[in-house]
Amino acid sequence: MKFALFTGCVAKGATRELMLSTMKSAEGLGIEFVEMKSAACCGAGVVSEKNPLLADALNARTIAIAEEQDLDLVTICSTCQGILKKTECHVDSDPDYKGKVNNVLKEGGHQYAGGKVKIQHFANVLGTEEGLNLLRDKVKRPLTGLKTAAFYGCYVLRPSELSLYEDPDNPTGMEEIFKILGATPVYYESRVKCCGFPIIMMNKSASHDMAGNALIDAIDSGADCVVTGCPLCHLSLDAYQPEIDKMNKKGCSIPILHLPQLVALALGYSPQELGMDKHIISTTRLDKILT
Amino acid sequence: MITFKIKRYNPEKQAESYFEEFQLDGTEDLTLLDCLNQIKWTLDGSLTYRMSCRSAICGSCAVKANGHAILACQKQASQLVKDNDTIILEPLGNMKPIKDLAVDFKPFWDKIDKVSPYLQPEKKRLEKETKQSPEQFKLIDDASTCIMCGACYSDCNVLEVDDNFLGPAALAKAQRFVQDSRDVKTLARVKELSKPGGIWDCTHCGECVERCPKPAEPFDRIKEIMTVALEENVTGNNGARHALSFTKSVKSSGSLNENIIPVESVGFFNFKGLFDLLPVGLRMFFKGKNPPILHKSIEGVEDVKRIYRELNE
Amino acid sequence: MIKHDVVIVGSGLAGMRAALEVCEGLDVAILSKVYPTRSHSGAAQGGIAASLGNSESDSWEEHLYDTVKGGDFLCDQDAVEEYVKAAPRVIYELEHFGCVFSRTPDGKIAQRSFGGHSKPRACFSADRTGHAILHALHEQLLKRSKSIKIYSEWFMHSLVLEGDTCNGIVVSDVRSGAIEVMQAKAVIFATGGYGRVFNITSNAFASTADGVMAAYNAGLPLEDAEFVQYHPSGLYRQGILFSEAARGEGGYLLNGKGERFMEKYAPSRMELAPRDIVARAEQSEIDAGLGVNGKDIIHLDLRHLGQARIMERLPQIRQLGIDFIGVDCVTDPLPIQPTAHYSMGGIPTDKFGQVIKDAEGTPVKGFFAAGECSCVSVHGANRLGTNSLLEAVVFGERAGRAALDYAKNISHAPINESHEKTKVLGLFEDVFQREGEESYNDIRNEMKVIMTENCGVFRDDSRLQVCIDTIRKLKERYKRGRITDKGKLFNTEIYEVLELGNMLGMAEIIAVGAINRKESRGGHSRTDYPKRDDENFLKHSLIFNTEKGIEIKYKPVIITKHQPAERTY
Repeated sequence: MKFALFTGCVAKGATRELMLSTMKSAEGLGIEFVEMKSAACCGAGVVSEKNPLLADALNARTIAIAEEQDLDLVTICSTCQGILKKTECHVDSDPDYKGKVNNVLKEGGHQYAGGKVKIQHFANVLGTEEGLNLLRDKVKRPLTGLKTAAFYGCYVLRPSELSLYEDPDNPTGMEEIFKILGATPVYYESRVKCCGFPIIMMNKSASHDMAGNALIDAIDSGADCVVTGCPLCHLSLDAYQPEIDKMNKKGCSIPILHLPQLVALALGYSPQELGMDKHIISTTRLDKILT
Repeated sequence: MITFKIKRYNPEKQAESYFEEFQLDGTEDLTLLDCLNQIKWTLDGSLTYRMSCRSAICGSCAVKANGHAILACQKQASQLVKDNDTIILEPLGNMKPIKDLAVDFKPFWDKIDKVSPYLQPEKKRLEKETKQSPEQFKLIDDASTCIMCGACYSDCNVLEVDDNFLGPAALAKAQRFVQDSRDVKTLARVKELSKPGGIWDCTHCGECVERCPKPAEPFDRIKEIMTVALEENVTGNNGARHALSFTKSVKSSGSLNENIIPVESVGFFNFKGLFDLLPVGLRMFFKGKNPPILHKSIEGVEDVKRIYRELNE
Repeated sequence: MIKHDVVIVGSGLAGMRAALEVCEGLDVAILSKVYPTRSHSGAAQGGIAASLGNSESDSWEEHLYDTVKGGDFLCDQDAVEEYVKAAPRVIYELEHFGCVFSRTPDGKIAQRSFGGHSKPRACFSADRTGHAILHALHEQLLKRSKSIKIYSEWFMHSLVLEGDTCNGIVVSDVRSGAIEVMQAKAVIFATGGYGRVFNITSNAFASTADGVMAAYNAGLPLEDAEFVQYHPSGLYRQGILFSEAARGEGGYLLNGKGERFMEKYAPSRMELAPRDIVARAEQSEIDAGLGVNGKDIIHLDLRHLGQARIMERLPQIRQLGIDFIGVDCVTDPLPIQPTAHYSMGGIPTDKFGQVIKDAEGTPVKGFFAAGECSCVSVHGANRLGTNSLLEAVVFGERAGRAALDYAKNISHAPINESHEKTKVLGLFEDVFQREGEESYNDIRNEMKVIMTENCGVFRDDSRLQVCIDTIRKLKERYKRGRITDKGKLFNTEIYEVLELGNMLGMAEIIAVGAINRKESRGGHSRTDYPKRDDENFLKHSLIFNTEKGIEIKYKPVIITKHQPAERTY
């Protein structure tokens, strides 16, 4: 398995542990990731607020780079995944627009062809039959007794036409991975809802309310930790958890893991190796289960 | 055989709602609305819901099936069936139920009212039609397909926690005027829509687009208003500043500078806003989680800059 | 008692347009049994006619002739003339209101061909024209929310008539069950049609003859009730409308042999002949065993139009095919059959929207009507497509103006509130307390089936008689039903029962009108009287409810410019 890895910006910044654990889990699984060092930020759906064509051009360029490398593209962020898929859809569905976008890219030497490479989230790769078999093979430390609540992130689920999950209203991809890793998946309503990150700067209380509802739902459903597919969700649920905890009468305190961290733990890596000591909400309470 | 688990509510009889099950055979070619009618007309006449056209144009019959809003007349019952051949039916979310599956739409209409939902044209009236090109028509065509069914409103993640949000339907309706070439109040509209509760409160979760039974796709409309607001230089708010800062950051380095964006979003001189950022900022600093102070550009940054120049950004 | 200067019942195109006219001068309320944007006007798809000449040169004179010929010469031509003359101004006004119209490359309102029109004069908004106009008018209503009060989900039960003067209506609030009398100086009915008496219909569940029956029960006649239009392209088995625009854009009608059978029936206009002719053609093919698979299906074939044109001009129709029958018209033909679509008949009015009570045109003071519930008559024996949206807006405006002019100079007349309320209360109590064994659902289904089979596209004396007898028996059984929901809060069940009562009444009237019109004209087709009989039947029927039962009188047709001639296409 060899892929072009689109890391996204936050995985190398505020949640560096995501990049770190991604490379560790790839190492443990024998997956080769070629980092797309010349690919630009996906825009996170924010650049397109300013200029939709600009955002599509930047993303079409990214996909074109993967096409040139003849490698399928893998994302580790739900937002990047959804945004790239949106660009793919915009450009593929309108030949005139595709021409316009390629016109912008021309001088830089890239041309988007379309239909040549798959754009998948790491969770989708692991969720294929090949991926699950690989996991089954390589698990060294089954996460028995660890109750894990998936938090998918809006952008890999909606709009459903662009989602790689068979039933985006009721996805099971992450939970299937949890089971192979030996963990016990916890199903709860909020796992397909919004973490509120996009409005953290615009409407803080609403953002925290959304995140808080999801956390409480996970806690009430018996989860030991929440596992995110998106570093922005991770920031909302982890970095801001103290504020959310304070806001909420019920109080909520639960560690948040990135999916690659969970995978790498099962492959035998230690929490420190995976940057889990960097989390705002301490993950040490999970050590009991991990040892 | 399909089992319909329907949330009943009749405050005339009892204060709490409860679930009641009905079973129907022969549902192969029936829409969910057909099934509701069968139940009402042959099993329990008190089952209450709204419906009229049964052809997905009047917007009366939106309900929640299996937790998500749909138009009952537009979906085949057989496609909605989940475990144990059951469909769970509840009234729309974010609105108070009146009885069974019928909800109070007043807050919904009040919010539509708030966006001045009527054309504000030039005062001078032409004898014939105001000219509008097919391209200009396309800008408002999608929003104009909205049937005001409330499905988007029902499932909006922000409305669930913040009733001040105008909501996807009102904002989509607003776009129909913001981008109508015949309307002359664009600036006033986007100024109003940029206030708290407006476009920048949308959390991009995509529920509205997912549930919309028509091509109206509210979230896409909201983004179009954002673009117009930025074009009109209505930038005195966190949402607009955030978009500008983000775009600028990608221009200069090809990626997001996470240290600068929170500061530029709240505004350099917004001392309260900056102060509010301190706790999370310090927290992350002490954990070693803060993004590197020296922000590195990507390898392809020159090409990125060129693209920006080419698009006049 | 609730008091307003003018009360409008029905908030579709005609009702809302009337409200916009009245609110300029008087206090006006608009009442609907659904929320205004749920009105059935929104389901109209194809277009609204006007001789703008944006696509090809056109004139009101041609529009007049097409309409009169389309109506098989039963139209009142003086009314038609004013109506077609007003059309361009009305369209421009709608556009100024902000209505979203599809455009020509040079920015004008686009126009397309339509059945029975000799020139392309259908102005359209993709294939959701009714929806576009409905929302444009609704927006204008919201703009004037301070001067127009909306009573949404209120049901109108009866008209308060004192001699020849209308003083108000009796209504109830569906949400609370409370009965109220609304006192008004003028009342305008814009209550729509009654396709729901038939089994296969394009109409919404709400199209149940409430307005026309309230007028009839108050002693007023209904005009031309026997003329019901069967739209050729209703979705098979479900009746959902597939706009005539599909044929306007070039779609073909095919029988089971794959033949464009319209060649046999209307060789010149083919698929764009008027609706009654096409519906009869389809029914003839079906009756001759030439339907698709030998069944009662005709194919509407749009494949040759190509995906781009379908997506631009007919996107809603395409989605309807996919959603409701799993057929994508880009790749497969759509299964269709004739569907009961429009009611040419209704409450008789003059050309100003003033309701009249006899052949002499005696006005019912203070009572006006517009839109599908009225019969002016601009459509005569058959309505051309795109003429109904126009009628609603033109006569909504005229009825509004007439009501305004009438009401501004008078004061409210007294009403015996408790007497009026008691009558309606009695009706409710009666239905609540019935403990019979009959199923209202069965009665409704039997009514719809007998009306479609025996009073449908092709009619004859013996089948019509069976129909009338059946309906009368159903009316008796109706008195022996029972309901489950005895509450007052949002009791939709009892309103459905009241609607059924209205439909049974209307069904009988349609069938009686049909059996007495011994000719074929427009939408009324008798296999035992296959020819048009101008000598005996060039006249409007007026059906009255008297103590002696149903009585029919006649009203002359106003003919000005076009003498009746043979109607061929």
